[in-house]
Amino acid sequence: MAADLVRMVGIAKSYGPVTALAGVDFAVYENEIVGLLGDNGAGKSTLIKILSGTVSATSGEIYMRGKKVLIRNTTDAINLGIETIHQDSALVTQLSIARNLFLGREPLIGPPIFNRMDQRTMNEVAGTLLKRIGITKDIPATTPVSYLSGGERQAVSIARALHFDSDLIVLDEPTNNLGVEETQGVLRFMRGARDSGHSLIFIAHNIHHVFQVVDRIVVLRRGKVVADDVDPKSTTIEAVERIITGVPATG
Amino acid sequence: MNLANRPGSLLVRRLTSTPEFLPFTLVVVLVVVFASLTPNFLSRGNISNLLAFTPELGMIALGMTVLMTSGEFDLSVGSVFGFTPVLMWTLFNEGATSLEVALLISLAVAVLIGFVNGTFVTRLKIPSFLVTLGMMMTIRGTALYTTSGFPQRTWRAESWLMDLVAGSFYIGEFRLYASIFWFLGFALVLGYILTQSKIGNWIQAAGGNPVSARARGVKVGLTKTWLFILTAFMAAYAGITSSIRVAAANPNSGTGYELEVIAMVVIGGTALGGGRGTIIGTVLGVFMLRMMRNGIVLVGVPGLAYNIFIGVTILTMMALQSYLARRHPSGAG
Repeated sequence: MAADLVRMVGIAKSYGPVTALAGVDFAVYENEIVGLLGDNGAGKSTLIKILSGTVSATSGEIYMRGKKVLIRNTTDAINLGIETIHQDSALVTQLSIARNLFLGREPLIGPPIFNRMDQRTMNEVAGTLLKRIGITKDIPATTPVSYLSGGERQAVSIARALHFDSDLIVLDEPTNNLGVEETQGVLRFMRGARDSGHSLIFIAHNIHHVFQVVDRIVVLRRGKVVADDVDPKSTTIEAVERIITGVPATG
Repeated sequence: MNLANRPGSLLVRRLTSTPEFLPFTLVVVLVVVFASLTPNFLSRGNISNLLAFTPELGMIALGMTVLMTSGEFDLSVGSVFGFTPVLMWTLFNEGATSLEVALLISLAVAVLIGFVNGTFVTRLKIPSFLVTLGMMMTIRGTALYTTSGFPQRTWRAESWLMDLVAGSFYIGEFRLYASIFWFLGFALVLGYILTQSKIGNWIQAAGGNPVSARARGVKVGLTKTWLFILTAFMAAYAGITSSIRVAAANPNSGTGYELEVIAMVVIGGTALGGGRGTIIGTVLGVFMLRMMRNGIVLVGVPGLAYNIFIGVTILTMMALQSYLARRHPSGAG
């Protein structure tokens, strides 16, 4: 088995009297796509939010490549190389593709006091990236994101993670609201990212999408891990659905 | 009618999709209409007059543009416009300090007001409407109470500062005020910040999608707090400029300015909800409303009818912008 990239140990989270996570152990290895499945309220989102720094755990530890790390906010997570792509693709639709790609990490040019963005570099890099992830349509990097389709927006988010060489890309429902073709595009980007050395966590309600692309499936139910090494090649969708709902097979 | 398939329509589309297109067109229309109705409109005296009072509201509008781009607005600007000159001239008239120090103190107080606004909005998560409404009444009340409602005199002062801020000089027979240069200077700096700088990218992102901006590591709260400070500073500076020009600091001055300024900014093409702002548009919006006020009086329409024109203009502009926005999905980038 490959080496650990991220290991979360004994992660617990309560919102007042409500327990969202009750001591979860979850690991992602180098160079793999993990499917994280579970019903509504199983704790998938909370687990991912803890990893991406938007929520802090009540208790538990996180290790990256064997070293204990502290993720207090999103900046910490990004600095550790963890990129999260949310379902409604967290882009600022009024801004251009290039400005979105570099948001928060804009390259500067000239004396620091002028705080001037290097827009030429931003646009050039963005143009190259769009081609690399397979957007063949001729879209200038200065186009506002509001002009893009849902699939293209997800592509921009993934391009951002690839460019900043994130070790771990977390995709939270990236195929929601996408058409068939666009979904295939996103899945293709995911395989490409893995093949170029990244690890990914894929959260989706649509198990069919998960089955097409992941190497391993982890299932959460009511805040606990109930299966963490399901190989999609040696099981069926129905079997996984039974693990998710906790209903034993009939007959 | 399908415009997209007609030759040459690409240029038209690009032009009409810029947010500055409408205000620019209207400014041109206004100049033509007023100039044809009354020759006085383009007279030397009237243009000079227009350039004297336009920068005062204009400077507030510049600050408000950047603040609104970040998704907030400030109703206390009119009160700050009235209060800070009162404070400055009171300090000077009472012999407490020199005029220079009094200016610095009142600008510092404006910075503090902006800081309080920003902190209440970003830390306590109270909508800017409520916070700045409260601040508007607090500051106006302070100005009225401390002066018992009487204007502060300014004519005893002789200082290089007054010339620098709001002095005037003649080019030939044309009287030009220093404030127009301050206005243009501020417009250049803020236009640069909004379109070229990294901070500008953060400002637009904070207004466009604060949740995702925060997820990218953008310090949304801090950015907005600085913009509240900037807006209060601009309002204070504009108020001081005005007090020097009219030679009085009236605790009532600036009443109602907040809404007129927001109207200028929105007419200029800045989105009321944030995420998109244009300094060029605001400069056009400022000139448009000031020219209307001026032109209406010159043409002989009763001054009391002014608000009818402004109201109808705002409604028309919004309708046209919404029509254009539907033709071009996001207006413009």
